[in-house]
Amino acid sequence: MMGTNIRIAGQAGQGVKSAGALLVNALARRGLHVLATRSYMSRIRGGLNWYDIRIADSRIYAGRDQADILVALNDEALEVLGPELSAGGIVVSNGPPSDGRVGIEMETVAQEIGGAKVMANTVAAGAVYAICGYRVDQLCEYLSETFAQKGEDLVSRNVACACKGAELAAAAGASLAAPRGNCAVLSVMDGASVVALSACRAGLKFATAYPMTPATSTFTWLAANATEYGLVVEQAEDELAAVNMICGASYAGAVSMTATSGGGFALMTEALSLAGMMELPIVILLAQRPGPATGMPTRTAQQDLLMAIHAGHGEFPRAIYAPGTCRQCYSTTRLAIATAHKYQSPVIILTDQYLQDMETNYDPPEEAGPVDRHIQADPGDGYERYKVTPSGVSPRAVPGGRAKVVCDSDEHTADGHITEDIDAHMTQQDKRLRKAKGLAAESLPPEMYPRQADQAETLLMAWGSTYGPCREAVDLINKSGGSAAMLHFGQVWPLNVWKARKAIAGSKRVVSVEANQTGQFASLLHQQGLDDKIELVTRYDGLPFTAGYILDALEQSRE
Amino acid sequence: MIRNLARADSHPAWCPGCGNFAILKALDEAIAESGIDPDKLVLVSGIGQAAKTPHYPRTAANVFNGLHGRALPAATGMKLANRELEVVITSGDGDMYGEGGNHFIHAVRRNIGVKVFVHNNQVYGLTKGQASPTSDMGFATPVQTTGVISQPFNPLALAVVEGAGFVARSFAGDREHLKQMMVAAMTHREGLALLDILQPCVTFNKVNTYKWYRQRVRAIDGNHDPYDREAALSLALMWGNEIPIGVIYKSGRASFESQLPVLSTRPIAAASNQQDAPQELG
Repeated sequence: MMGTNIRIAGQAGQGVKSAGALLVNALARRGLHVLATRSYMSRIRGGLNWYDIRIADSRIYAGRDQADILVALNDEALEVLGPELSAGGIVVSNGPPSDGRVGIEMETVAQEIGGAKVMANTVAAGAVYAICGYRVDQLCEYLSETFAQKGEDLVSRNVACACKGAELAAAAGASLAAPRGNCAVLSVMDGASVVALSACRAGLKFATAYPMTPATSTFTWLAANATEYGLVVEQAEDELAAVNMICGASYAGAVSMTATSGGGFALMTEALSLAGMMELPIVILLAQRPGPATGMPTRTAQQDLLMAIHAGHGEFPRAIYAPGTCRQCYSTTRLAIATAHKYQSPVIILTDQYLQDMETNYDPPEEAGPVDRHIQADPGDGYERYKVTPSGVSPRAVPGGRAKVVCDSDEHTADGHITEDIDAHMTQQDKRLRKAKGLAAESLPPEMYPRQADQAETLLMAWGSTYGPCREAVDLINKSGGSAAMLHFGQVWPLNVWKARKAIAGSKRVVSVEANQTGQFASLLHQQGLDDKIELVTRYDGLPFTAGYILDALEQSRE
Repeated sequence: MIRNLARADSHPAWCPGCGNFAILKALDEAIAESGIDPDKLVLVSGIGQAAKTPHYPRTAANVFNGLHGRALPAATGMKLANRELEVVITSGDGDMYGEGGNHFIHAVRRNIGVKVFVHNNQVYGLTKGQASPTSDMGFATPVQTTGVISQPFNPLALAVVEGAGFVARSFAGDREHLKQMMVAAMTHREGLALLDILQPCVTFNKVNTYKWYRQRVRAIDGNHDPYDREAALSLALMWGNEIPIGVIYKSGRASFESQLPVLSTRPIAAASNQQDAPQELG
């Protein structure tokens, strides 16, 4: 399961992303289990970016710290990432052959063989194939298919570059024992795209956003696929516009969503409260990155949990989901949209840079059709948008029929008109908050891994994207004779705590693993009255958790 | 203990003599005269005294009384969701040109097919008398104690420059003219229609009174070609002793929504599942 970790590193503009994308797709196509993560800086040129592609013969849940193959496109990559090489690891450097590493002048080769420096990434991919002992003609086959539309000439030049890269690496005698490949899922998707795909399949019809890393990739996927799904996509002038546009579109009946990161979400909070007051189903993707303020735009974090829970003035119900894998991105996005409509409430999906960019073998499930929007056929005259009901959910109509749909951000009577009447306010406030009971009753239970492990010595509490690293850490502990389990929350509000109570009671050591400094999830558990023996393993340097990082931290805090 | 203030909750919440009453009356008449189906009509507003207007018309319509400054993005969202809706914003100068200024710029650029009726009284009413973006220089208030020193915002000139479909001005003191302009805006079919309405505030603006406006407003000459952008801009820039009212500009640009192929068949709000009855959107 350790598999092989391939790291392509260089400065922005050198083709790190294209080399990585080529390899991850080609390797998945070859039948390998892959998991790719990206580390990049907030710039278009320069800096140090890398693309990690971990391959194995069984499903992979997280990235690894050390590389087995480092393809260094520049000297800085060599200097900074050279020390992060595993024992027996191989370095492919962009230069003349030298002692201890495979030297290939990739840009020169690309220019000579392919006629363009940018094909250096194809040379690198060819070298990686040779080192892993994979037949380069499989890579060539993939290149032929990918570039088929761009013409025979481009295909043959790329194929020549790949073969030359393989030839030079083979001549240098570098090889390692790489996994052979037995995965049936041959396609790859990242979290950002899976969220977008799932939303479209659930009936999304209107998406608007102001671009903000790392949420932008979800928005661009929606734009790229808008025609196929009959979707209106509009770039808003700011986040206030984006969230108010989805409120308006939702009022009119369209399934609507926006995507942003922490700073943009902060701007949206007034309208979050509006959706609470007007009882509009809206969905906001909050893809986290480290703050405060502009923070570290291209890094990862889980710092916005408590903000998401508490954002918006006044008191109103909401649901917040935190998927941890591509599969969960699909299921929870669908659930988020369904819940927003069932409870006519704002719903937030929390992801982060790591999950947005993380690519794995993924084959979306069969199309299940759009979710129920819970819209009544025209109720006619006398319709009351905010009719008082035991569940707090009022029958929903949309404008266009006989029924007049009146919605107000001011407190309103059942018919939606503005009021300052204290009794009317109390009645409506109670009605809105009654929906919180239904939301709590339907809250996703946390997932226990391994399934029947409520007596583990060490229990890792995870939410969102820490699923993978925690799961791998649990496997490593159990394999080495220890006893560990993970309890992962795919929904963080309302929190379903009964299972957590039982698991915590049965464990000697309870550790909340979080990509923030203060232990926001642990404090949420405390607030829910759970045991205060919860320890913290935090990471807030902006880089993603790995199983290795968690095991080191557990060891250190034991000492 | 005070239990219920229901009796204090009288409608409308405006001062006697407020320009909003005339605007409300004209709106009622214009809705009837323009032949708009009230089922399809959505009155949208932000926050402020003018923004309460959607609650009061005699004709029952759909209402979206949203957040301060955010009427335009909400209206844009609903027009894109269902372009068969007639989306009419009635809001004030603070809401539209101050708090919502950025949306105003970009909605005009989009030329989204919504009607924007701005009750422009050059002062903040709901917050009790501070300057608004359109207050004249020198206008003294409890906050701008020695008078406004910023140049007033010119919504009409901006709308002309950025290519709004329809740009007009009217005056709450001339209800017949106001109604005509509202009908013209509501029946305009090529994108955003801006109607800036000069509205005396009898409580907080003692400068720009009914009398002050009456002495200055002048109906635009029948020879003016609203498609002449330069002539329109000169009219939009006129302020002071003579204030032109009437249709200033028409850009002839196609509306934003008419350029989206995805909206060419049926509204996206109608795209539904088996559970949704198809007739729900009319």
